[in-house]
Amino acid sequence: MNRIQPRRLVRQIGLLGVLSVTAVAVLSGCSSNGSDSSDGGRGFSEAKQDKNSTITVWVDATRVPAVKAFQKANPSIKVKTVTYDGSANGSNSFKTKMSLYDRAGKGWPDVVFSSQNNDASWATQGVAGKQPFAARLDKGLIPAGTLSGFAKGALNPCTVDGGVYCLRNDLAQTVLWYDNSLLKKFGYAVPKTWEEYQALGEKVAKEHPGYIVGSVGDTWTPEVFMWSSKCQANDVTDIRKVTVKTDSTECKRAASMLDTLVADKSLTKLSVFTPDFVKTYTGKVLLMPGPAWFAGAIFNNKESLNVPKGRLGVSAPLAWDGDSAVAGNVGGGTWFISSHSKNLANAAKFAEFVTTDDAYQVDLGPGYPAYAAAADKWVKKQESSGYYATDLSGLTAAAGLVWDGWGFPSFSQEAIWAKTITPLVSSGKSIEDNLGTWATAIKNQAKVNGYQVNE
Amino acid sequence: MSTTLAARDARVDRARVTSRLTGWSGRSIIGLVLVVATLFFIIPLAWLLIATTKTEHELAVRTPFAIGSWDTFTTNVRQLFDFQSGAVVQWIRNSAYYSIAALVITLVISVPAGYALALTEFRFRRILMVTTLVVMLMPNTALVLPVFLEMNKVGLVGQPLSVILPFSFYPFGVYLTYIYFSTSIPRNLLAAARLDGCSEVQVFIRIALPLASPVVALVAFFSFVQNWNNYFLPFVMLPSSDSYPMQVGLSTLLSSTPAFNPSAAGSESMHLPTLALATIVSMLPVLILFLFSQRFLVAGMTAGGVKE
Amino acid sequence: MNKTRKGRRRSIGAVFVAPYAVFMLAFGVMPALYAIYLSVTDVDGGFTPTANFSKVIDDFRFFSAARHVAFFLGIWLAALLVLVVFLAIVVHAIRARWLSASARLFFYLPGALAGASSVMLWLFVLDPVASPAGPLLRAMGMDSFTNVIQPSHLPLIFAIIAFWTGAGGWIIVMYGALNNISTEIMEAARIDGANPVQVAIHIQLPLLRKWIAYMAVLSLAAGTQLFVEPSLLSQASNAVVPNDYSLNQLAYQYAFDLNDFNGSAAISVLLLIVALVLSAVFVTKGGLFETEDV
Repeated sequence: MNRIQPRRLVRQIGLLGVLSVTAVAVLSGCSSNGSDSSDGGRGFSEAKQDKNSTITVWVDATRVPAVKAFQKANPSIKVKTVTYDGSANGSNSFKTKMSLYDRAGKGWPDVVFSSQNNDASWATQGVAGKQPFAARLDKGLIPAGTLSGFAKGALNPCTVDGGVYCLRNDLAQTVLWYDNSLLKKFGYAVPKTWEEYQALGEKVAKEHPGYIVGSVGDTWTPEVFMWSSKCQANDVTDIRKVTVKTDSTECKRAASMLDTLVADKSLTKLSVFTPDFVKTYTGKVLLMPGPAWFAGAIFNNKESLNVPKGRLGVSAPLAWDGDSAVAGNVGGGTWFISSHSKNLANAAKFAEFVTTDDAYQVDLGPGYPAYAAAADKWVKKQESSGYYATDLSGLTAAAGLVWDGWGFPSFSQEAIWAKTITPLVSSGKSIEDNLGTWATAIKNQAKVNGYQVNE
Repeated sequence: MSTTLAARDARVDRARVTSRLTGWSGRSIIGLVLVVATLFFIIPLAWLLIATTKTEHELAVRTPFAIGSWDTFTTNVRQLFDFQSGAVVQWIRNSAYYSIAALVITLVISVPAGYALALTEFRFRRILMVTTLVVMLMPNTALVLPVFLEMNKVGLVGQPLSVILPFSFYPFGVYLTYIYFSTSIPRNLLAAARLDGCSEVQVFIRIALPLASPVVALVAFFSFVQNWNNYFLPFVMLPSSDSYPMQVGLSTLLSSTPAFNPSAAGSESMHLPTLALATIVSMLPVLILFLFSQRFLVAGMTAGGVKE
Repeated sequence: MNKTRKGRRRSIGAVFVAPYAVFMLAFGVMPALYAIYLSVTDVDGGFTPTANFSKVIDDFRFFSAARHVAFFLGIWLAALLVLVVFLAIVVHAIRARWLSASARLFFYLPGALAGASSVMLWLFVLDPVASPAGPLLRAMGMDSFTNVIQPSHLPLIFAIIAFWTGAGGWIIVMYGALNNISTEIMEAARIDGANPVQVAIHIQLPLLRKWIAYMAVLSLAAGTQLFVEPSLLSQASNAVVPNDYSLNQLAYQYAFDLNDFNGSAAISVLLLIVALVLSAVFVTKGGLFETEDV
């Protein structure tokens, strides 16, 4: 049939071009930020307030009971619940959705729960002149008395440049979990320092091969071991500045300990959430440095290690000889209030309720409350269950010991460790020898995320 | 090219007879290849089925193909359908709504377009063809943000239409119908119909469309599967879990599974076998559709393309 | 008479194609052009023709991601071209109708699995302990999940996952195409004493050429956009497989992690160019447009 003449094709393309330029102009045209806004004296410009408007809250499935508790206590406040994945496990859905709403100029929820604790690093920074998502809380939105009631350091992930931008839901301080009955049976004492811990690990490897004193298979290995050794791999010194220094004694001592115990096989390379781990080590976990939530997630969980009642003990974080004991931290959720909210009063009331009120944090909350008063009652309640072999004073002590030299940048330290160090460990290479590789990977990632690396 | 479907079937049978491998060695080679290939494709699925009958602990501890118990299976079923008071049912309903609505629109716009591209002339025909191909090669991530902004402009973000309309644009479907019409419809048949006084619309509806039923089935199937399995677009467009389709719902289930999200080790957490069950539930509609349409599928694919 | 006929056919063509053209503009052309526009502007809309491209190319992850995608594509396309055609010919040679039909069904089944379902499945399949393929993995010297997902194994693993989910559909397509080969040709070959292997090589393969090219083009397009498989495995391995493994993932990271839609668009445009160039090769080699009366 007839071949299309080149000239005609050119004309067609030309026409399409005109059409599409119009399209692009329509799409990229700035959406007006015309809604009435004013500076309410809280450090950001507020949307026009409507005290009766419904507040929309985003929570993950685990936090749904928190909303229900709030509605029960405040039946007059209209709340719309949206369940999402809590931004968990690298899905970044909180950030993704907010950046889309920023583009669209509308659609933000009033309160958001995030299971991560690095959201303040982006939620406080506006892109291209847009107003940052997170509302500043410490300039009147949340009473100072409430803010000061959180455990020491609990609000560090929420604090950027001196301002507080979110409320912490729960703490995930690291402690030393242990199987009290096994320790007794083997005649070991609970270690008080990391040196004793290492010595015990080596002893277990010789005397009771097959038993373990911990795991390096998970992405939070650096947060459990490096953070609690004061390794300066992640020191966020300013909004977009970070210091990465992994050739210090603090980093080396932890790395060398890990190398020794991994070689001895008393630290397993398996992730505690793999079927393999459950299969191999049920009844064989002697010690386990790890976050507070390990109790419910792996020990007292019939789908996992299923440690029987009366065996699980907990001790405060270990110290290195001649150094003070500090704890690491693995997660712990946060609540954000939107700076675009039309009902800041109710949004604030909601966030305050779910983080501090006994009706949720003590009665229903699965994790260690970040709010100190709630935490005390929560601990009492846990102790009275009779599950633990010891009291939970170790947990309480660790809550105030989280080292503040490890920051909360916008990139994930866990992801960097997982992709650079984990493959090395599993192929039998030394962590201590590769501390430099680790530092390089962190610096590279920091730079593409817009951080300036302090030299 | 003037074979009817029946004639083709007969030919197929003869071809099969003539092309078979003969002799003992030939048959055993075929047998071996088939067994290995089938094992490769089927074993993981069989395992998935079996996984739904075990508890998470059994899944880890027992050998891969040990079958659990009926009780555990029903417990898993209950856990799945109790999750967020029956969210799974809602998700499946949403998926069905989005997929079917988009499928109908896809057929309404694609089949006439493929016909027009193959058998009529009009301005911009060539450029439409080329653009169809280029758009098929465009990475999805690049298109999602602009589509989101468009939907935002017309105020549809969060509405079912924000998913259905982009789903309905299915260039692959147009391409398939184009190939079919340009190779499998005898032009003299259409010309005869025109001589008999049929209008162009009648030619399409009375003559071309009935002959095209295999390819319509094919496009319908592919578009349904694609819509059903699409994750990214609904994830971006729909903020609320009530309006999620099954695929996005599955990721919610995944993030409620401690193995993938340790912070979920709380009140309403999922277990792996339940997740396996969710998986099977999510693929059932596609499976059923495939079983019912397999005959059409082969016919539709057979018809495309090769000219004699 | 003839002229008015032609005129009517012309206008009816335009009418038939109009709805599709509208959708194409709205959801294909406009978004694509907007992406190109994004790739040559900065965040404030200023025109910066090269800045985004040089930024993403300078990213330390860019070349490793490009290499990963290239390796994956090489293995996957080779497997697809060889194994799919081979399996299609074998299935086509089966006499028993029920056997051939169920073989096709089995091959297609995995295609119905998507998203989170596959994450879980592969988490288990690649873990030698709980895996249905455990003995095989251990025989190859891999005794733990992290051993299996060593960086050097990944292109192969992704190719296997992609083959597992995608090959069935193509086997059905090829099977259909084989059915279309005329009986006369096959019979003639048989009378000439050709054995099945010779028939396959000299008759079936050449006649499948166009379909093979077609499959190659579409798989290439899909392959350069490698996203689902590494994201799944990244989730299943808790990030031991990085979430910036492939170029498309990197584009996603730019858009939603770095909030840099311009850099993201630049990667997509680069991907599109590569896909177009490679497709052009297959289109001409495979004679995909030869019988089209354009």
